[in-house]
Amino acid sequence: MVAYDLAEGKETGLISWARAKSPWILHFNTGSCNGCDIELVASLSPRFDLERFGILQKGSPRHADVLVATGPVTRQAKNRLLRIYEQMPSPKSVIAIGSCATSGAPFNGSYNVYEGVDNVIPVDVYISGCPPKPEAIIHGLLTLIQNWGKKQRQQ
Amino acid sequence: MVPQEIVTLLQVFLFPGFLFLFCLAFFSDWMDRKLVAKFQNRYGPLYTGPKGILQPVADFFKLLAKEDIIPIAADKTVFSVVPMLVLALSMTPLFLIPMIDYSALIWFEGDLIVIMFITTLVIVAMFMGAWASTNRFSTIGGMRVGLQMLGYEIPMTIAMIGPAISSKSLSVSGIVQSQAVGIWYVITQPLGFAVALICLLAHLQRVPFDVPEAESEIVAGWLVEFSGKKLALLKLSKNFELVLAGSLLVSLFLGGPLGFWLPHPSVYFFLKLIVCIFILSNLRALFARFRIDQVLEGAWKYLTPLALLQIILVVI
Ligand code: SF4
Repeated sequence: MVAYDLAEGKETGLISWARAKSPWILHFNTGSCNGCDIELVASLSPRFDLERFGILQKGSPRHADVLVATGPVTRQAKNRLLRIYEQMPSPKSVIAIGSCATSGAPFNGSYNVYEGVDNVIPVDVYISGCPPKPEAIIHGLLTLIQNWGKKQRQQ
Repeated sequence: MVPQEIVTLLQVFLFPGFLFLFCLAFFSDWMDRKLVAKFQNRYGPLYTGPKGILQPVADFFKLLAKEDIIPIAADKTVFSVVPMLVLALSMTPLFLIPMIDYSALIWFEGDLIVIMFITTLVIVAMFMGAWASTNRFSTIGGMRVGLQMLGYEIPMTIAMIGPAISSKSLSVSGIVQSQAVGIWYVITQPLGFAVALICLLAHLQRVPFDVPEAESEIVAGWLVEFSGKKLALLKLSKNFELVLAGSLLVSLFLGGPLGFWLPHPSVYFFLKLIVCIFILSNLRALFARFRIDQVLEGAWKYLTPLALLQIILVVI
């Protein structure tokens, strides 16, 4: 069912179509100030409606495809983030939302944070902003979906 | 003339059979999601196929292609068998429902009782799955599945017996045929219809009664450990349950595939099914979740006496 389109360097076929059309997200707060969380919730709400793209928010890591992490990873959240990442079935991706999750931003150099999600688990897409607008979050998610096939080919 | 065996095979596999039921399940899921989105002033699935109609198909194939995790602590046999069991059990009663004709594909005197029995077995299978996955959330969810069944099972059965008493037949096809000559039972038994609707909502674990999978309390309830293929099958069986609930309401209370002016009875059945799914989604978008004790209390204090009252009215 899975074939590679060599010209585009993308995975084609039914499975990758299905994968691109229904990415379910799992939201995990790794020590955010709640600004990014509210923006993520806003992008799921009627005004921006992420469900248009088939994106649903799921409660259980076992059901999710994309882990959405917000906030610099605090020392307390690190093990939980790792565990949740391990619990997700592959193929899985990670999105870091907000400046904190990207680089630690205001908490850079702090004694209790890991300064970014990518110091703990591999990240696919970074969305900057403090907090990023819902439009930016949607753009980031769609960029991730468009690049899925390419990423899997390189591996 | 085509031989009878080939016609029967085609019926089982294509038209009112497997293929049609799969399409119906996906369609009802799409319609449900779209309706709830409309009630909440959203668009719902939009870019997957025309108006997002292929969204449930995409979800299904994506889940089929995902990694299938079996937790170390889980009871592996039961954990793997339960999704298939639930799917088979929720699909079987659909063959007993008359969809394109006045009599179903398979029917015999007493198939209403078989349908009720199978809907109970589904719950037992769900409970087993929840128990086998040995997760604290799924265990709570499984207990709630069982508890909720203790609440709604009795009034649902009583409400469904109403049409059987007035038509003097214990088969769904017989009930439909008796409505062909009389009037629809929703007019003579409005109470029974309401009770059956509420109880089916509880059976489907939809929003006012979604205690077994309350997302904000116990993550995903009894579904929490299922991933990949197993989750795909369980989601599909939920859609079959939705179709079954709708078609039970249609055939017991709304006259099944009976119509006057449309070319084929199945069109009529389909329209009524859409109306029933509309009502179920409507309720889902309007209400907030009850607590498990409120569900049980409501079922025993209000639904059961109402269903009994309906039976008494029918007998008199
Ligand atoms: S990026 Fe800004 S809004 Fe987001 S968690 Fe950090 S400080 Fe809060």
